[in-house]
Amino acid sequence: MSGTLKMSATPGARSAESPPHEVATGVRQVVAGLTALILDAIPTARDMVFTGLERAAGGLSRENWSVDATWNDATGAQAHRLMLMRDASGTLLATNRAREFAVLKALEGTNVPAPRAHWVDIDGRRLGAPSLVMDRMPGACDYLVLNGEQPLAARLALAQAFLALMAKIHAVDWRARGLGPILGEPQASPSQAELANWEAEYRRVQLEAHPELDLALAWMRRHAPKAEAVVLVHGDFKPGNALIAGGQITAKLDWETAHLGDPLEDLGWVTNPVRRREHQIEGVWERDDIVAAYRQRTGLKVDEAALTWWNVFSIWKLAVIQLTAVAEFVAGRYDRVFQTPAWLYRPMFQLMEKAA
Amino acid sequence: MRPSVEEQLAGTCRVLEGVVLPAVADPYARTLLAGLIGNLRMLGGALPAINGFLRNDNQATAALLEQMRASVAPELSERIGAALDAPAPDAADRAALDAHNGVLRELLAHALLGDALPVEARQAALAHLTQRAARSPMRYVSTTTPAPKTAN
Repeated sequence: MSGTLKMSATPGARSAESPPHEVATGVRQVVAGLTALILDAIPTARDMVFTGLERAAGGLSRENWSVDATWNDATGAQAHRLMLMRDASGTLLATNRAREFAVLKALEGTNVPAPRAHWVDIDGRRLGAPSLVMDRMPGACDYLVLNGEQPLAARLALAQAFLALMAKIHAVDWRARGLGPILGEPQASPSQAELANWEAEYRRVQLEAHPELDLALAWMRRHAPKAEAVVLVHGDFKPGNALIAGGQITAKLDWETAHLGDPLEDLGWVTNPVRRREHQIEGVWERDDIVAAYRQRTGLKVDEAALTWWNVFSIWKLAVIQLTAVAEFVAGRYDRVFQTPAWLYRPMFQLMEKAA
Repeated sequence: MRPSVEEQLAGTCRVLEGVVLPAVADPYARTLLAGLIGNLRMLGGALPAINGFLRNDNQATAALLEQMRASVAPELSERIGAALDAPAPDAADRAALDAHNGVLRELLAHALLGDALPVEARQAALAHLTQRAARSPMRYVSTTTPAPKTAN
């Protein structure tokens, strides 16, 4: 919805604008759910008022609602700028809100900029779908910021800052932060574990045969690499999942796919050729530059063949995510039309041939 | 038949884009509508090519399966034989062409997951699937430029 919507959780309060029926239903549900969630955590909360409630147009997997909340409780007057992320009825990524909440809590006090998580509705009892409420951080999100209108020096500095952030995430002491039991340490090699996870997702969502993906799957099984280290992996590392203000990254967002795994998984995601426009700057920040900078920051060796495997995996995983969208659209649970990901096959096959 | 399917799709897009889209204020709904219009346009261009694509792909996939037949497990080999012996679908019947394509591609997927395929067969499959991807008439239309997640 556009414009500013003011809505009070106080019975009888009226909105300042009249949104369309479907949106109004969503707004009412969010306000009621948020009210209940806050009361669950802070029973003394009263006089709750929500202003500026708005659903962002972005967010392929979840609904993103921004809202400013004020209330009074036993400790005094409260004012919070909040972001509520609620699972969409159809989603590209079936993820677990409790895990994401735990990751955000574990990141508090580290040098990784991430929003402070407040409350979680694990089963959607309050908000109608699993949801997470966190601080709304300053900054704006631009998924093509590295190839946008800023001068090259500024874009290159940002690219280097993104890589430094990735290295910080990989350096998080996940054992000390208690993430082992929550995220689960991979029992097999991380590459085999991730392949098994995503193969299960592939089989769950495929509506027809995709020999292209089975050909690549067989190749990945034959060539799965061992990990040089087991680290906290973001799982969807991209500029589109970050906020930037004043040339600085203020927050890394979207931790729903975070897990323990091979650091090359994130590195393979940002160096895969189909995401070049998001992650690379032609001539100055390409695959070799990224890998060299990563080696220098982390001290890891980064085996080229292993990284190529993760590049193939990244494209294959992207194809599976796209098939999820196809299945959800056909089932009537997702509102955007996707096609079979034929555009991903050629670059995936080229990487496999190059590796051979 | 006029207006043809393609003409109707093109006209629908024109009206949605020129009349409906400007009247939609909600940014989320606008993003969705723009994507739907883009997809309808893609379908208008793809529709005339679909039958030819399926006929060609059925022939190429059948030839590939014939080549692989000796290298796969007996049960799969039998299924391939049955599919190759089945009468070809009517060239004008899109649903039948599509169903036959599904059968052949499922057999190909099974064959490619096996360990016993010779390298040459895998390379032939890779070449065929690369060509198929390049010729696929229905392609994803990216019109869903994400809006800023938050801005102050």
